[in-house]
Amino acid sequence: MVTKKKIAAIGIAAILAAVSLSGCGSKKEETVSSPSAPASSPKASASEPASQTPDNTVKLTGDFEVQYFVGGYGDKWWKQVIADFQAANPDLHVIESGGPKINDQMKPRWIGGNPPDFVYIDGAGLNDRQMVEDGQLEDLTDWLKDAKNVDGDLILDILAQPPQQYDGKIFNIPLVLNSWGIFWNKALFKEKGWTEPTDFSSFLEVGEKIKADGVTPFIHTGKYPYYINGAFLYPAIVSANNNDFSVLQDMAANKVEAFESPAVLAALNKIVAMRDKGFIDKASIQINHTDSQMLFLQNKDAFIPNGLWLPNEMSKDVPQGFDFGFIPSITQDAGGKVVANTSTATVAVAKNGKNKEAAKAFLQFVFSKAQASQWAELSGAPSNIKGDISNSNAPNFVKDAAKFLTSPDTVVIPTITYNADVDKAMMDATDALTINKITPEEWVKRVTEVVKKVGK
Amino acid sequence: MNSRTEKRQRNLFIASFILPTLLFFGVFTIYPVVQGLYYSFFDWSGMSNKKTFIGFDNFKDMFHDPIVWRAIGNDYFLVAGKVIGIMAIATFFAVALTRFGFKMTGFFRSIFFIPNVISVVVIGVLWNFIYNPQIGFLNAFLSLFTKEQVTITWLGFTDHTIWMLLPPAVWAGIGFYMILLIAAIQSIPASYYEAACIEGAGQWRQFRSVTVPLVWEQIKVSVLNIMMTTLNGSFVIVWIMTEGGPDNSTQVMGSYLYQMAFRQFHFGYGASIGFIILILSLATTILLQRLMRHEAVEMS
Repeated sequence: MVTKKKIAAIGIAAILAAVSLSGCGSKKEETVSSPSAPASSPKASASEPASQTPDNTVKLTGDFEVQYFVGGYGDKWWKQVIADFQAANPDLHVIESGGPKINDQMKPRWIGGNPPDFVYIDGAGLNDRQMVEDGQLEDLTDWLKDAKNVDGDLILDILAQPPQQYDGKIFNIPLVLNSWGIFWNKALFKEKGWTEPTDFSSFLEVGEKIKADGVTPFIHTGKYPYYINGAFLYPAIVSANNNDFSVLQDMAANKVEAFESPAVLAALNKIVAMRDKGFIDKASIQINHTDSQMLFLQNKDAFIPNGLWLPNEMSKDVPQGFDFGFIPSITQDAGGKVVANTSTATVAVAKNGKNKEAAKAFLQFVFSKAQASQWAELSGAPSNIKGDISNSNAPNFVKDAAKFLTSPDTVVIPTITYNADVDKAMMDATDALTINKITPEEWVKRVTEVVKKVGK
Repeated sequence: MNSRTEKRQRNLFIASFILPTLLFFGVFTIYPVVQGLYYSFFDWSGMSNKKTFIGFDNFKDMFHDPIVWRAIGNDYFLVAGKVIGIMAIATFFAVALTRFGFKMTGFFRSIFFIPNVISVVVIGVLWNFIYNPQIGFLNAFLSLFTKEQVTITWLGFTDHTIWMLLPPAVWAGIGFYMILLIAAIQSIPASYYEAACIEGAGQWRQFRSVTVPLVWEQIKVSVLNIMMTTLNGSFVIVWIMTEGGPDNSTQVMGSYLYQMAFRQFHFGYGASIGFIILILSLATTILLQRLMRHEAVEMS
């Protein structure tokens, strides 16, 4: 009896040991297999010319895996487009890996060198610049030069905004085209007799009036300062730089001179002007985006820097009679062009993917006019594909935004991703600037120090 | 012969209990620590299989990173504040509920213990509302006494915002240590207090000369536990309430580790921060144990 128990105990111990050891073993195998992954790339690149045929005559076979993050834009479009693609390629086995936590779930596979073939870069945990630096994404520069979509149009021609370049190379293509900007409540402005701002001086002017009427003019989320940076600071820099957004691209490329340019200082001084007039709600520094948006919807604050997704995001909390007013930027001089800082999400092909041919064919499928209106309709956001969506069932503010972004009177800043360290330094410094902890000069000094460190 | 087999059987029996535990400990504690230390020698984004060995560079960088120093300072500030705050209040409550003969002891004991049942995440969100400058309880309460509406941004000072994280942290911790001390105090024989009373000792004297020496072991364990949970776990409350901001003023080692490893893609650097947390916890534990070494008072 005792021996039986003993044997059982030893047996359990042995099983436990085996299980945990095999856990280690399989992990090792994964890391070992990673160097072998590049070996599959010659095969894929050999078949590249085939995928360039516009009419998609090559029969796609095998497995094809798509990773897509599900956030504010939902997953309706993804499910639809994948079903369409599957129907067009019956011999291909399309695997969907989507969800709000998908970026974390897929991480081990990216680390292990066994990524999905196609990735939609959006949501926390994925950063296109970092992925490029890590060599995770396929270089699409040459392919994109003459890649045509399923309708036979050149993809580069139908993109509303060009892809970001990393040292002249292209790795990812913007799919969504949204815009940062400043919102107000038209109804409140009408009721109080305030004029809607069109430039910085009219903004300051109406701000004084708003303040005199007992409303705080401006609220933002200090917990996530990229809102004020994206909707206020970056457009301000471009306006101060004669509407030339290359300064932001230079900043993203970690060029110190760009950060030291007078345009940056001029833009920072606009935040200071707003701060010193007491326009910025004191609560801003400690609250998150939802809290700031709630205070804005309660008319406690007149302006909020945000993105065009705001009406959709807060749709359940918008009070009756609230009427969103929107301008992409308020920092331009009187008579100057409006600057729209776009907020994009991109798609890319994994360098270590096993079916790059299918991934490229999927790109040709996705970047078509039919999918553009379908995207606007199903996701509630403008797509980065030129095309008239006025006849589609897209929501009205999406159509308005699309109009804004295609207007010749708007300077549109294309998609730019900063180095994560520099981005964080800019966010911290802007926060510090809004609460009078540092001067604009100190902002520049702080950020350039980080840029120099990153550039090393 | 017979005793030998018995001994062997006994050893086998013991081993069958210890070995699996040891194995689990090895796999789930030792292995990750070693793995963490291994990664701390690499420049790795944590997102790909591209790793570069850089030796001690992460640790050297850390030495020059002002945020690391601030985070360590904040960590020890929280340790000191929590140890003093929690121990003072928990001891007071424990003594009050056991020695002063209240009628509603059970009720108060439950009330004080409630924060321990609530998840730290909920506590963080709750206190965020208390501190909210526009719709928060604290400003509304203070406004009762002033002519003008109070609009203090409790979590948005240029400096020392870390002070504001102390009340929720202390509030959340009191209950558990109070129960621990109540149990210890209740195990002291009543005759000791009777004797002290006859000798003319007042409540304070009884507390100092009878209660404290006899519950010293529990006090020691409590202090060490508060220290360790703070160094390793203050991440949660910081991340929920401020995410280390504004301008990194409330950053602790745990939150900075998360920020660096998962927001700024420096996994290797994050791993080295984690290793420093381990070293600091160990060093502080040893130091505190030395400081609090006290001749054991035996109850017999």
